[in-house]
Amino acid sequence: MTAVREAVVLPALLLTVVLLGGMRLTGDVAFVPPPLFALVLAVLLLATLIRSGALAPERLVHAARPPLAVVNGGLVLLALFLASAQVFHLVTPESGLPRLAFHVFFLVLLLNTWASSPDRTRLLRSLMVIFGSAFVFKFILLAAISDPASGRLQRMMLVLLDGVTLGTLTQQPFHPALGYVAFLTLALFLAAVALLPPPLHRRQLPDTHGELPAQPTAGELVEGERLERRR
Amino acid sequence: MSERTVRIAGLAGTVAYGALVGWLYLHQPQTLAQVTGGLTSAVGAYRVDQRALDEGLRFFRNDQFVEARMAFERADPAVRDPVTQFYIAYSYYRQGWGRMYSDDDLYALGLQAVDRAITLAPNGRIVVDDENLGMKSAEELKAELEAGLRREMSDFNPARLLRERK
Repeated sequence: MTAVREAVVLPALLLTVVLLGGMRLTGDVAFVPPPLFALVLAVLLLATLIRSGALAPERLVHAARPPLAVVNGGLVLLALFLASAQVFHLVTPESGLPRLAFHVFFLVLLLNTWASSPDRTRLLRSLMVIFGSAFVFKFILLAAISDPASGRLQRMMLVLLDGVTLGTLTQQPFHPALGYVAFLTLALFLAAVALLPPPLHRRQLPDTHGELPAQPTAGELVEGERLERRR
Repeated sequence: MSERTVRIAGLAGTVAYGALVGWLYLHQPQTLAQVTGGLTSAVGAYRVDQRALDEGLRFFRNDQFVEARMAFERADPAVRDPVTQFYIAYSYYRQGWGRMYSDDDLYALGLQAVDRAITLAPNGRIVVDDENLGMKSAEELKAELEAGLRREMSDFNPARLLRERK
């Protein structure tokens, strides 16, 4: 990984995701910090990224690296954690039954993905599908059925739906621009995840049946970085 | 450019950008003026528009409170100056004050403004040397606004009719 990517591109992308992910437009602009559950999901996502080989933390923070590079790498990890939390916060509905359902949905999906341990490419595809589906559900489907400015027939249906679901399904309407901001935020986040450094090599460990990536030694890491830079 | 230079520049940029994001989450600015005002006040470079402030004070002394607040808001668009916020709170107090009863909505807005002023002031202390004011400190103003919003037996004391606006 080049120094520009590690010190400039990744932090800039991830901090932009942190900024936009918590932005809410409801007449006024508000920046909302992630709820506790989003932090839990972010930890699970980081664990899944590491397990699948989409992220090699030793290529960001390792004793063999120069101190300045370790600080850069540490900031990338911190920004990745915060951005992950804000992305989950962004695509989760704000209230009611959909919010609860999405929390369970994300938790089960992440645990399942972590347990199945897909490779890097499959994990990136999987994340695109997870966040893409959540985006469509929240910003297109739920937004459409919660839109108070729609026609009379739709408003009547909305009242009926509210009655049947005891008001647990419909959401507070939000500014139309928020959907576009959310789309951009998700695109930036997925781009940043794709740019994270993968492990330099993976060895099969005899006592773990090849499930875990082996940790390279300091010498292997330095040599690997040098070879990759030369390529 | 050497790798070390890129890393140092990246680190500085990341810290600055991260601080900006943290500041936005902490202060929740609503307008671009509040963003720029907040950032300039962080480096001690924020100044109120003195001309608009003087206009506001003139309106305030003529009991034209709506006009006064418009001028004060023009003077302090970033909502960073404690004295201007104090005067805004005072304008709500004077406009909402009545011999028989006070206007709860205006008092509530005044309370918000005086709380803002206290938060912005160094050590939370504001003393305004203005002979036109009956209450010169934020504490007195806040206590008066809170008392106006409370419902208590003394509200029915006929002697209230003799009290004066401060």
